[in-house]
Amino acid sequence: MGIKALNRKLYKEYGGRVTASLEDNCIVLRGCLDKWEDVVAAGLMCAKPHSKCHVVNDIVFTGAEEIPMRMPELKDTALDGDRPDVLIIGGGISGCSIARELTRYKLDVLLLEKEADLALGASGRNDGEVHPGVDLSRGSLKHKYIRRANRMYDRVCSELDVPFKRTGQYACFGKKSWLVPVWLYAMWRRFYDGIEDTRIIMGDKLREKEPEINENIAFALSNPSSGSVSPYNLVIAYAENAVHNGARVSLNTAVTGMQVKNGKIVSVETNRGTVYPKLVINCAGVFSDEVARMAGDRFFSIHPRRGTNSILDKKTGKRFNAIASVVGASTPGKTHTKGGGILHTVHDNLLVGPDAVETYERENTATNPDSIERVFAKQKITMPELSERDIITYFTGVRAPTYEEDFIIEWGRKTKNIYHVAGIQSPGLTTAPAVAEDVAQEAAAWLEAEENEAFDPIRHAPPHLAAMSDAERAELIAQNPDYGIIVCRCEEVSRGEILDALNSPICVPTVDGIKKRLRPGMGRCQGGFCSPLVTKIIAEYLGVPLTEVRKSSASSPIVFGSRKGETADV
Amino acid sequence: MFDYDVTVIGGGPAGLAAAISACDNGAKTLIIEREERLGGMLKQCIHDGFGLSRFGERLAGPEYVERFMKTLYEKNIDVSLRTFVTRVEKLDEGFCVVVVSSEGLKKIHTKTMVLATGCRERSAKQVFIHGTRPAGVFTAGTAQHFTNRLGVLPTKRCVILGSGDIGLIMARRLTLEGAQVLGVYEINPTPSGLTRNIHQCLHDYDIPLYLSHTVTRVFGADRLEAVEITEVDENLKPIKGTEQRVECDALIVSVGLIPENELAESIGVALDWHTKGPVCDGQLMTNVPGVFSCGNALHVNDLVDFVSASGEEAGKNAALFAKKAQYRVDIRIGNEFLYLVPQQLDLDADNSKVTFYFRSKKVMGKSELRLKINGVEVWKRRYPFLRPPEMQQIVLDMNKFGLSNTADVRFEIEVVQ
Amino acid sequence: MKEFNCIGCPRGCLLHVEEKNGEFTVTGNSCDNGRKFAISEMTEPKRTICSTVRTVFADAPVLPVKVSADIPKDRIFDVMREINSVVLTQRISGGDAVIENVLGLGVDVISTSNVLNENIHIKTEERTNG
Repeated sequence: MGIKALNRKLYKEYGGRVTASLEDNCIVLRGCLDKWEDVVAAGLMCAKPHSKCHVVNDIVFTGAEEIPMRMPELKDTALDGDRPDVLIIGGGISGCSIARELTRYKLDVLLLEKEADLALGASGRNDGEVHPGVDLSRGSLKHKYIRRANRMYDRVCSELDVPFKRTGQYACFGKKSWLVPVWLYAMWRRFYDGIEDTRIIMGDKLREKEPEINENIAFALSNPSSGSVSPYNLVIAYAENAVHNGARVSLNTAVTGMQVKNGKIVSVETNRGTVYPKLVINCAGVFSDEVARMAGDRFFSIHPRRGTNSILDKKTGKRFNAIASVVGASTPGKTHTKGGGILHTVHDNLLVGPDAVETYERENTATNPDSIERVFAKQKITMPELSERDIITYFTGVRAPTYEEDFIIEWGRKTKNIYHVAGIQSPGLTTAPAVAEDVAQEAAAWLEAEENEAFDPIRHAPPHLAAMSDAERAELIAQNPDYGIIVCRCEEVSRGEILDALNSPICVPTVDGIKKRLRPGMGRCQGGFCSPLVTKIIAEYLGVPLTEVRKSSASSPIVFGSRKGETADV
Repeated sequence: MFDYDVTVIGGGPAGLAAAISACDNGAKTLIIEREERLGGMLKQCIHDGFGLSRFGERLAGPEYVERFMKTLYEKNIDVSLRTFVTRVEKLDEGFCVVVVSSEGLKKIHTKTMVLATGCRERSAKQVFIHGTRPAGVFTAGTAQHFTNRLGVLPTKRCVILGSGDIGLIMARRLTLEGAQVLGVYEINPTPSGLTRNIHQCLHDYDIPLYLSHTVTRVFGADRLEAVEITEVDENLKPIKGTEQRVECDALIVSVGLIPENELAESIGVALDWHTKGPVCDGQLMTNVPGVFSCGNALHVNDLVDFVSASGEEAGKNAALFAKKAQYRVDIRIGNEFLYLVPQQLDLDADNSKVTFYFRSKKVMGKSELRLKINGVEVWKRRYPFLRPPEMQQIVLDMNKFGLSNTADVRFEIEVVQ
Repeated sequence: MKEFNCIGCPRGCLLHVEEKNGEFTVTGNSCDNGRKFAISEMTEPKRTICSTVRTVFADAPVLPVKVSADIPKDRIFDVMREINSVVLTQRISGGDAVIENVLGLGVDVISTSNVLNENIHIKTEERTNG
């Protein structure tokens, strides 16, 4: 569509409040709108799926005040004057996997994450599905990476010592009359798009495997290659292996600005000092367009999209072992990934969700009751016995899509020493291993880096005793009696394992940091019993009073001091 | 073959009472506790009012439970502290309790089990409170642990959701410690706790109680900053438009207890949908023979006196069950015998001097009496002759053969040259 | 006439108290304790306090305590101030006094737990190891 036609369309819809112009091969939208839906709709109206000519949405949203990015409290000069070869901005799946792949080369890699831990954005707040790519068609970057990356998962997860299960995915259909079109669709996917594991399974066969699937389900698209992984554990494992191979990770470190001269980033300002990198890799998730702007290289826009998932008690995990979703009344393939599903997690819970809600708030991960109601109403079509009563917790993540709904994996357009890995949304967790390989290769070539012969791809996760045989467990306890002292009874986490996590390559001595690594507090009691005990272990480890222990960020104390024992004249 | 007649899982008031009464009824008893001290939740329930009906006194929680601990330690009861039951296996006879402690992994064979596993608290998310996930959302029990056992304050200014007794008691407790309790909010139109607690915990300290109100949302990205309070209609659904924001640093939820029966379920114990505890008979035995339930794991009690009473009942009945289900082994004989007495051995009894009486079926010359266990000869004696009118008597130490109830114990007579 | 709930036991009877010439008539009570409580509420309301005192011991940073008998309701926070001023350096037992005759009220602040008392622990160790 030409820019004139776009403007006509925009005029019709928004009466001259929004205009489009073509600048540097970008469609730039300007104007003012007071409804966020409209801001997003205008952007989507002008975007062409998978196009390299991106929408830059500069429409001013007047409906709410702009929310500044959350900043770490920390301020020091620890990184001042640092000159890494590669500076990675963002400690999510993209940043951490790229950091690890970069350590295959002789490069000084520094990764910055503004939060108190890794994987606190979309990477840690998703359903953990390793997608088969059945909903992706040729021509997109998502499609380019999905099969290769999906196949890499067994190796990557075994190298990084992260649990991964291929559970298989079923996209369920209620109407038998759809069988022929869906079969044709499946064949198309299989033979044209290369999603070779796509097949049809009839309802009865499906129910033999998964008896709780609704009687009304006539058939399903089945993809056995689909699986589940703990997304934050994978991110942390990638980062730990990167650190093991010499990369550096700086948490609580936010990028606040950049100095760009002659199309080149000279320096990057952070709350911990100014860094002088040779190359910047932008993995900043919902803020990736902001980072691009700082680098003078803004050619796309992110429109944040929230998704809420519920976690069900482990008891329910015994009732369903795969991933299932239901395909609605629209064309097959178009809707089934957006409506969420039911997923047997790698920790044997069931996860239900996510939904998809556009939002102007990039960092608002607060949950809302209607998200859960909507998702459950839909998923009960697949599994009627699903019950909200089994929910033990729920969480919201904010995805970072572009208006073209495809990834951006490319060098800066105006600024030379930046590489953007942006617009990474589902299936970005799945594609990360392959994307990281390619990005690292390109970056290394650009920097003319030599291979690092000392690179060790293996990460040894600290022992997870509950998963061991009696004999192995007994032997480890004999070596370290702390492994026999159970702190979290829901997930059977011992004091020894908590101390291991505190001594891990990227120590995050917070209650949430321990929770993410080992799961105390993720069970059915949600930390009711173990949180005082974990708090105490962290305090003892750090040699500080309990009042100094944090849940996550510096401003999240768990408890306050008591006046007890001070002098009487309080 | 059995380490214990009765293994009590859980060292709170129910488990303590169960272990004591099992021991009093002659059972070899073990009590397993995952914390480093016995006492369960009463360790942190430092308020008074416990034991009125049992002791006729108003005791603080630790005082009440330590009376049981004292009795228990005076008896011959084995105590495993800081010991966690990782799983239970159902055997043909009895159970194998697999425990983990700093001493390693141990398998304990027991004839019966008393599950005194108590309950857990429902969390804020489990009553569908939405919003962010800041520090400062506690269950009342967690807040109590921090305050009463660790001596730190979970809040300076808080809202309490739920007017159950724990919520009310924490309202008073935190006020005494200098925190400000802005109000206790209750979704139901009537208070959930005891009237006396409304009086002595709220009225005495001018803490307001808001009925038909609930917390619908929490705010704050790091530490909790505020909560959203909403009125509810007669179906307990929030009424739109009644939301108000209350600034505070903590939300303490006291919104119900759930009996802990995951271990029970793992061995096939059926639960009652209403109590969320096991389905039990009059002896507090579950549908799995030999497994008993008591205290708050059975159903949520409001007075500890009842918890102790059900523990005693379960402990006693477990001991009686263990006695009844004696483990015996049959003594078999070959065709050459007219008979042999006794025909069975009680494996729990002392079998170091068992007297056997037998007669041969017919007159036999030089013969050998042989005892075979599982086909292997373990003992023999020669006789110059055997005749049916002459009864023979032998005394054997049967203990030394390490018999199990599935052993094939067999006497044979053979004529020898 | 005044109405309030008895706090003597879980029953929580609703007591009615009528005063005539300094004489109290109590109704609604189920036992004599109720009558006594009602009259005390009218003349000199009393309450108990249960709290903790700071200790120097890492295994039990605070020790549960209570007042050995009810104290005047309006002195609760005065007594709390005394309780909060204590730092316990002795491993005392349940029932031992932490503060004698607190604020001259004729009441002691006493320990309600043996948590600091080593004897029990030693015995426990023996048992678990044996």
